[in-house]
Amino acid sequence: MNLYKIIKQNQKLAEKRNPAFDTNRFAKFLMYFMIVYWAALFLFMGVMLPFMFEGLVPNMEPYHIMNQGILYVMLADFLIRFIGQPSVSQEIKPYLLMPVKRNKLISLLLLKSGLDSYNFLWFFVYVPFAFLTIIRFYGFGGMFLYLIGIWLVFVFNNYWYLLCKLLLGEKTLWLLLPVAVFGVLGVAEFLLDGLPISRFTMNLGEGFIEGNPLSFLFILACIGMMFFINLKLQQKMIYNEISKKEDTKIKRVSEYKFLDKYGEVGEYLRLELKLIARNKTVKTQFRMGFIVMMAFSFLVAFTDVYDGTGMIRFICLYNYAILPIMTLGQVMSFEGNYIDGLMSRKESIFNLLRAKYYLTTCIIVIPFLFMLFPVSKEKMTLLMAVAYLVFVMGFVFFMLLQLAVYNTRTLPLNANLMKGNKSSSTAQSILMGCTFGLPLIVDSMLSAFLPEEVVHIILIIIGMGFMATHNLWIKNIYQRFMKRRYKNMEEFRATR
Amino acid sequence: MEIKIEQLRKNFGEKVAVDIDGYTIHSGDMLGLVGNNGAGKTTLFRLMLDLLQADNGNVHIGENNVSENEDWKAHTGAFIDDGFLIDYLTPEEYFHFVGKMYGMKKEEVDERVAQFERFMNGEVIGHKKLIRDYSAGNKQKIGIISAMLHQPQVLILDEPFNFLDPSSQSIIKHLLKEYNQQTGATILVSSHNLNHTVDVCPRIALMEHGHIIRDIDNQDGSAEKELEDYFNVNVME
Repeated sequence: MNLYKIIKQNQKLAEKRNPAFDTNRFAKFLMYFMIVYWAALFLFMGVMLPFMFEGLVPNMEPYHIMNQGILYVMLADFLIRFIGQPSVSQEIKPYLLMPVKRNKLISLLLLKSGLDSYNFLWFFVYVPFAFLTIIRFYGFGGMFLYLIGIWLVFVFNNYWYLLCKLLLGEKTLWLLLPVAVFGVLGVAEFLLDGLPISRFTMNLGEGFIEGNPLSFLFILACIGMMFFINLKLQQKMIYNEISKKEDTKIKRVSEYKFLDKYGEVGEYLRLELKLIARNKTVKTQFRMGFIVMMAFSFLVAFTDVYDGTGMIRFICLYNYAILPIMTLGQVMSFEGNYIDGLMSRKESIFNLLRAKYYLTTCIIVIPFLFMLFPVSKEKMTLLMAVAYLVFVMGFVFFMLLQLAVYNTRTLPLNANLMKGNKSSSTAQSILMGCTFGLPLIVDSMLSAFLPEEVVHIILIIIGMGFMATHNLWIKNIYQRFMKRRYKNMEEFRATR
Repeated sequence: MEIKIEQLRKNFGEKVAVDIDGYTIHSGDMLGLVGNNGAGKTTLFRLMLDLLQADNGNVHIGENNVSENEDWKAHTGAFIDDGFLIDYLTPEEYFHFVGKMYGMKKEEVDERVAQFERFMNGEVIGHKKLIRDYSAGNKQKIGIISAMLHQPQVLILDEPFNFLDPSSQSIIKHLLKEYNQQTGATILVSSHNLNHTVDVCPRIALMEHGHIIRDIDNQDGSAEKELEDYFNVNVME
């Protein structure tokens, strides 16, 4: 248990002393604010749900309905964990050479993960909910047992997440595992008679409340099984995380010779393509962005889900902007790994930014091609599809590339991480907010006073203006970056 | 090309990292920078390369104040650590990339790299491996070659003998001497290895707590004794 305490203490220190967080009061404030916001929202849900359920289904107890829906809560919890919960293998590295058995170490880290306070997150909903619905029938004992049961469910979900995260780190194809599991559960629920899954979870929840040993044994067995699978897989895969593979040769060295004619910018374009193709973190991020972008495109092109002017406008804009937001939103963060090399060459950052601009501009032609389907189905006009494309290429990219001045946290190129670059400065947060919100605000304001065609023409003019002057404003970004270079370089080095 | 340091100060909190009133490295000099850990050698190099902000003073490379413009970068080559390498490229790609930044054609780069054949010892080129998968020694070689690729007039290498096997250490000493004689370039080399530094550098600056405390003429190789005395004294204390 001593080791357990040491590991826990070290992790607390690591969080406390994280340079990206340590130095930034705004980020700290934002984080605490978000925690309070979500806690309040969850508490509100916990208080309101009993009344809502009573009104909707008067012949059933609210906790039965709540228990029927626990799978949905588990799915939400599972997805939320991907935002920030690290995998066990990421935490294990510093302790591997210490005189502690590896099995014990992995078990301890898994245990620590099970006992993590995050697994109590949903108590913000469940405690007030149980207080209002269970006490009156089963007293405090029933409520207490129920909460223990619910906690165990989320401990199980924690291990399920860790398993998926571990496998996903190996191959993106493992994404199919959670998709298949949740898919099978969904199919069983809706295609079989009597909603068997929700009936089962309802009985399980009731078992918790009544203190039925079978319910607890069941969930404990599930946790035990998931713990065991995690333990075995972690043992097997730990080498992949901590060491290089034997065969490190690459199969094909891509030349991208066609870029030769574009001089230095062409060279940086080549570098960008290799950055995306050869680094796990960058590749995963790009792939995710691409998948989301394609999903948006397919929705617009082949379904009627997003009919209605407001929604079409929203989807049209973000179909173009989503991938750039995910990639350019972290501009310079990967370059932080070799910033010294870049900075020892003249104007390299200027050409790098230009290359990033050109590459992203080319990429968003893909969603434009998909837009031609809804255009052909007359869901939107060609003018609208072009207007938003040009507006994103001009104005949105102008906003996003400003982040080159303010992003100062190096992101690992090749780790099994799926963490984002947490907004770590006021300027970054404002810029990202503006990038998300401003285009829609501009569009909505113009649409309120002007006919649609005129709005689209204005958007094209704005976009073209920024596109035509891209060399000027990129130069300006570069000059501002150079003014802040010492601070940025220092922080890049500190977070490497 | 001359390097001039004037009133240069850099503190990290209370600790003085660099404090040099004035120091000139003449065009064509080959200067060895020695000192214990924390003496300020790498910090001085970073200040010279404008990778760190000085609290006071400035560094001129030729006519250029390094913090005021970037013109000096065209004729300066440097390698300090892995932070200079783009490790998801193969060495060939990296050399071509660096070459392009200095306006060199691919053929010119290949020709130049070929001159380092002995130094690379068949372990760097033609392996279809990314830089990140090379050993520390080979990464060091890649960094040194990339710094010398465009035949800079100022060459700054931090601990170039680190990680290298004895043969490569010997070759790089020979290469640096030859490069200095042939091109008249100003070369700055920091090292913990006194023997190598004395072998290769006719002038040696000894650093302690951020100050250059001795400027030793080593034309006749006589610095070894003085340096050994200094470092042994430190051990004795």
